[in-house]
Amino acid sequence: MANTWGYGAMTNSLGDIQNAKAIIIFGANPAVNHPVGFSHFLKAKERNNAQLIVVDPRYTKTAAKADIFAQIRPGTDIPFMYGMLHIIFKNGWEDKKFINDRVYGIEDVRKEAKKWTPQKVADVTGVSVEKLMQITRVYAKSTPGTLIWAMGLTQHTIGSSNTRMAPILQLCLGNMGVEGGGCNILRGHDNVQGATDMCCLSHTLPGYYGLSEGSWKYFAKSWGVDFKWLQGRFKSPKMMSTKGFTLAKWYSGVLAGRPGEDKIHNAGTNLKALFVMGNGITSIAQQAKVKEALDNLELIVLADPFVNEAAILTDKKDDVFILPAATQFETSGSVTATNRSAQWRYQVVEPLYESKPDQEIMFELAKKLGFYDELTKGMLIRENKKSFKWPEDATDEIARIIKTIGLTGWTSKRIKKHTDNWHMFDEVSLRGFGPMKGEYYGLPWPCWTETHSGSPILYNIHRPVKEGGMGFRNRFGLVHDGVDLLAGKNSAPVGSKVKGGYPEITAKNIEKVLGIKLTADEKRRIGKNWKVDTSGIIAQKCMEAGIAPYGNAKARAKVWTFPDQIPMHREPLHSPRPDLVKKYPTYKDKPNHYRVDTKFMSKQSEKDWSKEFPINLVTGRLVNMNGAGMENRASKYLAALSPEMFCDIHPGLAANYGIRNGDMMWIYSPEGTKIKVKARYSYSVSEDRVFLPFHFAGHFQGEDLSGRYPEGTKPYAVGESANTVTNYGYDIITQIPETKGGLCRIEKA
Amino acid sequence: MSVNEMARMKFYCDDDRCIDCNGCSVACAEAHELPTGITRRKVITLNEGIEGKEVSTSVACMHCTDAPCEQVCPVDCFYIREDGIVLHDKKTCIGCGYCLYACPFGAPQFPRDGAFGTKGAMDKCTMCAGGPEETNSIEERELYGQNRIAEGKVPMCAAMCSTKALLVGDAQEVSKIYRARIAAKGKGVQSAPYGWSKAYGA
Repeated sequence: MANTWGYGAMTNSLGDIQNAKAIIIFGANPAVNHPVGFSHFLKAKERNNAQLIVVDPRYTKTAAKADIFAQIRPGTDIPFMYGMLHIIFKNGWEDKKFINDRVYGIEDVRKEAKKWTPQKVADVTGVSVEKLMQITRVYAKSTPGTLIWAMGLTQHTIGSSNTRMAPILQLCLGNMGVEGGGCNILRGHDNVQGATDMCCLSHTLPGYYGLSEGSWKYFAKSWGVDFKWLQGRFKSPKMMSTKGFTLAKWYSGVLAGRPGEDKIHNAGTNLKALFVMGNGITSIAQQAKVKEALDNLELIVLADPFVNEAAILTDKKDDVFILPAATQFETSGSVTATNRSAQWRYQVVEPLYESKPDQEIMFELAKKLGFYDELTKGMLIRENKKSFKWPEDATDEIARIIKTIGLTGWTSKRIKKHTDNWHMFDEVSLRGFGPMKGEYYGLPWPCWTETHSGSPILYNIHRPVKEGGMGFRNRFGLVHDGVDLLAGKNSAPVGSKVKGGYPEITAKNIEKVLGIKLTADEKRRIGKNWKVDTSGIIAQKCMEAGIAPYGNAKARAKVWTFPDQIPMHREPLHSPRPDLVKKYPTYKDKPNHYRVDTKFMSKQSEKDWSKEFPINLVTGRLVNMNGAGMENRASKYLAALSPEMFCDIHPGLAANYGIRNGDMMWIYSPEGTKIKVKARYSYSVSEDRVFLPFHFAGHFQGEDLSGRYPEGTKPYAVGESANTVTNYGYDIITQIPETKGGLCRIEKA
Repeated sequence: MSVNEMARMKFYCDDDRCIDCNGCSVACAEAHELPTGITRRKVITLNEGIEGKEVSTSVACMHCTDAPCEQVCPVDCFYIREDGIVLHDKKTCIGCGYCLYACPFGAPQFPRDGAFGTKGAMDKCTMCAGGPEETNSIEERELYGQNRIAEGKVPMCAAMCSTKALLVGDAQEVSKIYRARIAAKGKGVQSAPYGWSKAYGA
C-alpha cells in the first residue's frame, strides 16, 4: 500500500462503504471480526443495492451475507485478481483516463494479466471460470466499488505482493480517491492503526520516519535530547539504523546457534530478556519455537490485565514476572480508528488494586534505567513547561513532531472536542454539522494544520486540499525509466494553484512550485522539507495554495526495489500442489531479514510436503474472542460460546479418517508438532482443508498445562493453540507469518 | 401513534442483518447475571456453512399475543402487562414445564442442577421489565434481573445488537423501521419475519 501510493492505511472509512455499489472482500471476515463495522456493509446492501462479493477459503459468516461467494484455495489471491484484470483488459472495462493520469507501470501488469486466462486461474485457485467471469463483470460494472481485506490477504509469504495487487485492481477500475471506492483494510483490534502510526515496530521511528541518521537527528532535536547520547545507547552507530527483530521471528533471536535454527545478525549476542506489554504472544505462529525461546530466556516480564499465557506455556520457573497492567477503562488518551480518525478515550475508573497503566510501568522502568528525564522531556517542549500532564502533553507532542502522516492538527484539545460532540457528525460522510461544521469526525489523517478539516478519503482530487483533498504522494522520485512519476494534467485536487502533478514540497522548491515569495523571517524559520518542518510554514503556505505538502504524483504498479517488481504468484512454502510449486516457486532464502536468515526456497524444496501433509490448514478468529483470547476466555459468558478448542472439518473429509462429530483428533504439522482438538463438522470448509481458531492456550501438544495458572486466574476455557501447528513461512518484505496457507495431516485421537 | 393508543411492545429480528455474533445473548446474560445453562436469548443458525442457505436469527420469548404459556400454566403464574410484555411470578411457578411444551420458541428455561432432573422455577426473557416484586428492588433484580423498561431504557439485547438486526419497542415504531428498510431495498416483497405471525397473529 505505502509502496503503491504513499500511505499504508485504509483509504476511506467504514461509513463510506455505504456509498459503494459493489463490495469485494478478500481474506477478511468482518461479520465475525468487525460486527459493528459490518453494519455499514449491510446498509450498503440495503440502501444502495450494493453487490457483496466474498472471496475466501471458507464459507464465513460474511459469506453468508454475500451475493456472490468464491471459495478460493489459500494463497492464490494474486492469480484470482490477475484473472479479473485479464477479463477487465480484454473487455476494455478499465478506467483509461485514470490510469493514464494517475498510475505508473500498468503496462507490465497488463502483460502479466494476459497470461492468466480464466481457465488457468480456475486451475490454480479452484474457482470456476463462470464464477470468476460473474464476479469480474459485477465488480467492474458496478462502480464505485470498494475492496476490503484483512489478515487473510497479508499473512502469506507473498503477503506484500497481495497487498500491492489489490490496489492495482482498484487503480485499474478508477476506484481510488472516490466516495464508495478505496482499499479499505480492516484493522483487527482497537487502536491498531494508532500503534502502527506510532510505529510500535522494529523498522521505523514513530510516524514512519524510518531509521536513517537524519530521522534520528530530527527526533533527537524534537525530543530535546542529544543525538550523540542517543547514539551511545546503541552497541554501535550501525545498529542504530538496523531493523530489529519482529514479533514473528523474535524467537530466532534466542534460539540461534542451536542445530537447525535460523542464523541471526544481532551484533554478536542472542536475546536474553523479553518484556511483553499487552501482546498475546501465545497467538503467534511457531508456538513450539516460542515456547523453547521463552524457556531459554534469562528474564521474562509480562505486563497485562490478565495472566499472559506465555507464563503458562514456558517451563521456566524463575525470573518470570507478571505485572498487573491497567485496562483501557482505567486510563485515558487518544486512540486511532481503522479509518485514521482519532478519538479521545476518557478514564472510567481509577486503576484497581495494584494495577498500573502502561505509561506508569514504562516511566518506572525508565527511572530505574536512568533515562526518565530524556524519555519525558519531549512533552515539556511545546509550552516550555516544568512538568507534564499525561496524556494531553503526550498527544500534543505527537502533533508537534509527526508531519509525515499529517498529525499536526491532532491536538488533545481538538480530539476531545470531536469525541465530546460525536453526535454532530454524519455517519456516512463523517462531515460535521452545527458547531463542528467544516471538520470530519476524528480529523482523519493527514490533518495538515491545526485548522485543517481532516481527510476522510485519501487521494481524492475532487475536494480542495484544505477540505481533505489530495493526489497520490510523491514518494518514489520524480522520474523512473525515463517516465515522469508526477501526476498528469488536470489531476490536481480542486482549487489547486498547480493544475497537474508537482513534487513534495521542500524549503528549496516551495517558492517555485507554489509561485510565492517567502519573507526573510520565514526563510529563517522554515524546516528542510514538509516532513521535518515544525515551523508550520510549508503546511500553511500549501493550504493557501491548495497544494498537498507531500506532492501530487502517480501511484505505482511497479515497485522496483522489491524482488517482484509487479506482484507475481508464488506458491506457499507448504503447498498442496507440487505441480504448481514447480511452476510458481517461492523466493530465494533471504539473509538478514529483520536480523534473521529466513528460509524460503530451501524450505519449500526440502521435500514434497503435500505427500505427508495433504490437507490445507486455515486459521482465523471467532466472534466472541480476539487475539490470544486471554481476556475473552476469562469471561464466563464469552467462554460459554466456545468452551473448547475445536477444528472445523467437512464431514466428507472426517469420514475418510473415521472421525465423528465431537471426536478428538490430532493435527500434525510439517514442523513436527501436533495438537489434540475436538472435531466439529462444518460445511464452511471444503474437503481439502480444515479451519482452526487461534484464540486458545493452556494446552500444549496434548498436555494440559492449566495447572500452572496462579490460583484464581485460570480462564473458563483453555485449549490447544492453533499456532502450535501453523507452518514455517514468512513474508519476503514484512516477515508476517504465513498462518493462512499451510499444510497439515490429521488423525483420529 | 394517537394519544389514547397504548404502546404494544414487540420483538423483531431482521434475518438479513443478523450475523450470528451472539452480542444479544451475551449482553443479556451479563446484564441479568444469569447462571450458565440459562439462556434467555440465543442466536439460531440454520444450514450453517451451506452456500446460499445459511440464515441466522435471534430468538427469545416473543411476548406473544394470547401467550400459550399463560394459557397452559396450571398455577396461573403468568401475567400480561398492558403493553403486552408477558411476565411471570417465580414464587408461584412450580417448575412443571408445561409452558416449555406450549411455547413455539423454546423460550422457558429451567435450572438444571437438581437431582434426577427436577426443575426449579422457570426463567425467561422479561423484555428487561423485571417481575411482580417492587420495581427496581433488590428482590426483583435477584429473581428477574434488571428492570430497564422502568428506567426508560431499551432492553439490553437490542441495545447491544451490533448490526441493529434485533429491534424491540412499540410495535408501530418497530414496523416503521422494518418498512423503511424494505422500502430502501426497493425490491422484493415484504414478508413477515420468522416467528412474527406465530407470536403476534397475522
